Amino acid sequence: MKFSLLLFILYRKLKKAVKTNRAYRSHIGTVQLKILIKTADGKRGRLFIFDRGVLSTLTGGGHAADAALVWSDAATAFRVMASGSDEESFKAAAEGGLRVEGMAYYIQWFTDGIKLVMK
Amino acid sequence: MADIKAGHLVARYLKEVEKIDMVFGISGGHIESILDGFTEYSIRTIDVRHEQAAAMMAHAYSVYTGRPGVCFLTAGPGFTNGLTGIANAYLDNVPLVVLCGRHPLRDDLKGALQEMNQIDMVKPITKWAATCYDARRIPEYMAIAFRNATAGRPGPVFLELPPDILNITIPEESAPMPIKVARNYAVVPADEELEAAAEIINGAKKPLFLGGTGVGFSACSDRLGEFVEKTGIPFMLLNYGRGELPDTHPLSIWDCGNVGLLVTLGQADVIVAAGLRFNWLFMSGDVIPGGAKVVRIDIDPREIDRNRRADAGLVGDVGSVLGRLMPLVEKKDHGEWVRTLRAASHAFIDSELKARVAPSDPIHPIRLVAKIQEVVGEDALYVIDGGDTSYFGQVGLFTREKAGVIGSASGLLGCLGTGIPFGIAAKLARPDKPVVVLNGDGSFGFNSMEFDTMVRHNIPVVVVVNNDCAWGMIKHSQEMSIGGDRLQCSELGIRRYDLMVEGLGGHGEFVTKDEEIVPALKRALESGKPACVNVMTDPSVTSPATPLFYQSLKME
Repeated sequence: MKFSLLLFILYRKLKKAVKTNRAYRSHIGTVQLKILIKTADGKRGRLFIFDRGVLSTLTGGGHAADAALVWSDAATAFRVMASGSDEESFKAAAEGGLRVEGMAYYIQWFTDGIKLVMK
Repeated sequence: MADIKAGHLVARYLKEVEKIDMVFGISGGHIESILDGFTEYSIRTIDVRHEQAAAMMAHAYSVYTGRPGVCFLTAGPGFTNGLTGIANAYLDNVPLVVLCGRHPLRDDLKGALQEMNQIDMVKPITKWAATCYDARRIPEYMAIAFRNATAGRPGPVFLELPPDILNITIPEESAPMPIKVARNYAVVPADEELEAAAEIINGAKKPLFLGGTGVGFSACSDRLGEFVEKTGIPFMLLNYGRGELPDTHPLSIWDCGNVGLLVTLGQADVIVAAGLRFNWLFMSGDVIPGGAKVVRIDIDPREIDRNRRADAGLVGDVGSVLGRLMPLVEKKDHGEWVRTLRAASHAFIDSELKARVAPSDPIHPIRLVAKIQEVVGEDALYVIDGGDTSYFGQVGLFTREKAGVIGSASGLLGCLGTGIPFGIAAKLARPDKPVVVLNGDGSFGFNSMEFDTMVRHNIPVVVVVNNDCAWGMIKHSQEMSIGGDRLQCSELGIRRYDLMVEGLGGHGEFVTKDEEIVPALKRALESGKPACVNVMTDPSVTSPATPLFYQSLKME
């Protein structure tokens, strides 16, 4: 539940940033990408759809995406994502708590954008 | 006393003083006397179909042999055609000796054939450029050229030789051959910098060693091996440093790929960078975390603090510096850190690792690379040339050979078209090894006429074309920037490059299905001919290098 709420809040923050944060708007540019964050069982997740400067979303973990951040479970996902720490993500990946489906660089791009918004 | 045709002095110097056995170029009237000298002194000439290929081959020959490569260009278009190859050697810091004809001094300002100021054009992309005006001084100028190519940070040099001095006969004793003196000298880092570096390395919890071209030209396998094994530091060798230790060394992290490198860089607390520039591929140093300590080793003191201030800067030849560091560093075991970075990196490239082992339709480029590795193995030389192709080749091919995997188009010039010339040089330098070039279909177009060179000179290189019918990296960048519906100049068609090669006298294979890859590769290798394996791959696949490229040019 906390994980789903975190994803919803993240979406709202990014959605707002698209309108108000010049740096973030520039970051997403005209990119067309679908980034999925989900649990490994696919039960929880959210799709972030970037389409030429417009951000929209779909809930759930079963969507097709260009890249997906796949968490072993919701508790790990919440703990690591809420920390906002690259080191925690690195540790989670090393311990089997996190893996990337698709191209890792897209995930890097997505998280770089989050950092711009949270600054 | 005997007389000598002055143009022969060039070959005589190459043979007797520098022990050069092979040169690359195209014939031309302005340099005929030099060409005749090659015959006289039994120097093998590899005559190519475009001078840029000659410069690229000589460049690569120096990488594979550790001795300066030599190319010869005729005046005018021969010279201008060679410029791309010279620029590439300049940005790659490779010792390349370019011998070039020019219009006669006698006809200066008269509208002579191919009259132009070549020296001013080539100066910005050479370490040294000069015209010799006196036949008697040809050997002396040659010696200066070779010294400049190899001293300190290596690079290309350019010697212009007018017909006025080449096409005359002079007494031999008036142009004596210089004696090549091997001076035993070294640039040595300051003791306090060595001590500071050792303290940083000894205190590291999550260190990483990155070695570049400076490692390759230092030829320091033994010392590097001793250093990483004593310190326990995981490492990645890049550019012409790759293969100085095997990719399969337990501490090499090439299995983590470029993505793993970036992930690991973000977590490392100490980075030792040797003979490696923090250029755009390292986002000019921005990928290195602010809190990490950096030890730089470089032959060029100007590199030590470039783009990132070093916490310890060791100026000198990499092997020599590592030798001085060895007594100061402590024996360490970073096994846990290596296991962690490896596991984390593999989690980030999970899809890529799976794509290597799963049959695909259309064929995924990384699957093609995995199949090449399976058939050709680690006892081979690989050259990779392309955009997305370079990424897949560099992360998926592994060898035990020095300079065993070279991304010829991955240097600072990003020079597509280098693959086939590099492959030819690799085979000439090490004829006992299988040589495979992995080419993008776009980059294949630049120098594919060199298949004719391969056929004439019996140089059996296998060129595998990763054919996505596009300038893939540009196409996928345009999809991100201007949109897939507005692609411009980025698409190519389905072309039978294999048939083109067959027409030139080589062996051709056309592959469209996963199960056809291995038999086609085996037939190509067994043919004993220069071969092209034209593989149609998935045009929708993008490599992680593409968005990096796209982002590097984003200005707002």
